[in-house]
Amino acid sequence: MDDRKIQILMDSLLPLLKAGVAFTIPLTLVSFAIGLILAVITALARLSSWRIPKLIARFYVWVIRGTPLLLQLFIIFFGLPTVGIILDPFIAAVIGFSLSVGAYSSEIVRAAIISIHKGQWEAAFSVGMTRGQALRRVILPQATRVTVPPLANSFISLVKDTSLAASITYVEMLRTAQQIAVTYEPLLLYCEAGVIYLLFSTVLSALQNYLEKRFDRYSAS
Amino acid sequence: MIEILDIHKSFGSLEVLKGIDLKLEHGKVLVIIGPSGSGKTTLLRCLNLLEVPDRGSIILGDAKIDFTGVKKVPQNSVLSLRRKTGMVFQSYNLFPHMTVLGNIMEGQITVQKLPKEEARKRALALLDKVGLSDKADSYPHQLSGGQQQRVGIARAMAVEPEVLLFDEPTSALDPELVGEVLKVIKQLAAEGMTMVIVTHEMKFAADVADKIILMDNGNILEEGTPKEVLEHPKSPRALQFLSRLSGE
Repeated sequence: MDDRKIQILMDSLLPLLKAGVAFTIPLTLVSFAIGLILAVITALARLSSWRIPKLIARFYVWVIRGTPLLLQLFIIFFGLPTVGIILDPFIAAVIGFSLSVGAYSSEIVRAAIISIHKGQWEAAFSVGMTRGQALRRVILPQATRVTVPPLANSFISLVKDTSLAASITYVEMLRTAQQIAVTYEPLLLYCEAGVIYLLFSTVLSALQNYLEKRFDRYSAS
Repeated sequence: MIEILDIHKSFGSLEVLKGIDLKLEHGKVLVIIGPSGSGKTTLLRCLNLLEVPDRGSIILGDAKIDFTGVKKVPQNSVLSLRRKTGMVFQSYNLFPHMTVLGNIMEGQITVQKLPKEEARKRALALLDKVGLSDKADSYPHQLSGGQQQRVGIARAMAVEPEVLLFDEPTSALDPELVGEVLKVIKQLAAEGMTMVIVTHEMKFAADVADKIILMDNGNILEEGTPKEVLEHPKSPRALQFLSRLSGE
């Protein structure tokens, strides 16, 4: 590798990292947090005995799962302005990714809630809890443990999916790499961005391990 | 006092309870025996509405619920009945994510809204009563079945129910652990706790019961003192069931 290439690598490292820390990570965190809330609400709606919320939740999951994420982002960012809704790229990206996380993760949350033994509900009821109390105090804390591995998976996917925001003009890490790559070494720059993504995912995997261990303290296995 | 009148319950087309009438005075122990499938567990579960009867009524203290012609029992009535009962389950059903102390305090804190310190004090006293003071900070999976079930009893008592319900409390236990659980239940009986117990332990039933009912096929076949039911049953069905048990 010649000096010029090394120089380009060094020069681009800081802008890339900066874009990662200042744009990719916030977008990921905010979208995931909102997405999780959506996921829990959707899962509860699907498990409830009320018809209308159940239908709305199913419709939502059906639409989001059945269409490309990139298309959803395009509709939100490029489509909505034609009906007078103009969104900042960050807001548009957050809406798109939150909706996506909410739909996919709602299935994880739903499966986790169903996986908790019926006896736990009954024990909670037997000490006088309402359904809501049982859910909050007994069912969700146990379901949370079941959801850690699959949710960590979604989270890591999301870190990478945020690169799609580049296509709606949000200057996150990939777009930053693109901007530099136009003038210099595309192979080098994209690989460099790849390494940084890899670094982020690795840290998150370690976090997942930590969480799983923490939850393990009350399980026999 | 508990009074149940003409309780009916079906699962699909299968009628599990065919009009049960029953009365139990305060401070007494009722033991329900009978072959499996006789409806005894369902009857017990009707008492705290884990199963909702199709017809009939239940009176427990000042709570009275009539199920006849009612599509959905109001949540308030359900809660008022449940909060007068405590239940001990066959498979313990302790909350695995809470410590032993946490399990016992949970109902007091979440349901009765007691201050944490008071709940803790009461939980420790109950734990002492079931002989597990040294296990306060353990998690359920670290305990033996017998210990778990004693925690289950303490948890059920913590919300100060008017009646304790036991659903085959020793059926899931290794034989050598049955004794420690029965001992705790006997002690509660001696202290005047009102209890309804579904069990297969006949000797224990004879010891602890003020009244025994023998159920068969959704009906009460025999009803009376332990002596009357266990030693002098009137119906041939009951005689057959009891002799099969003693033959084991």
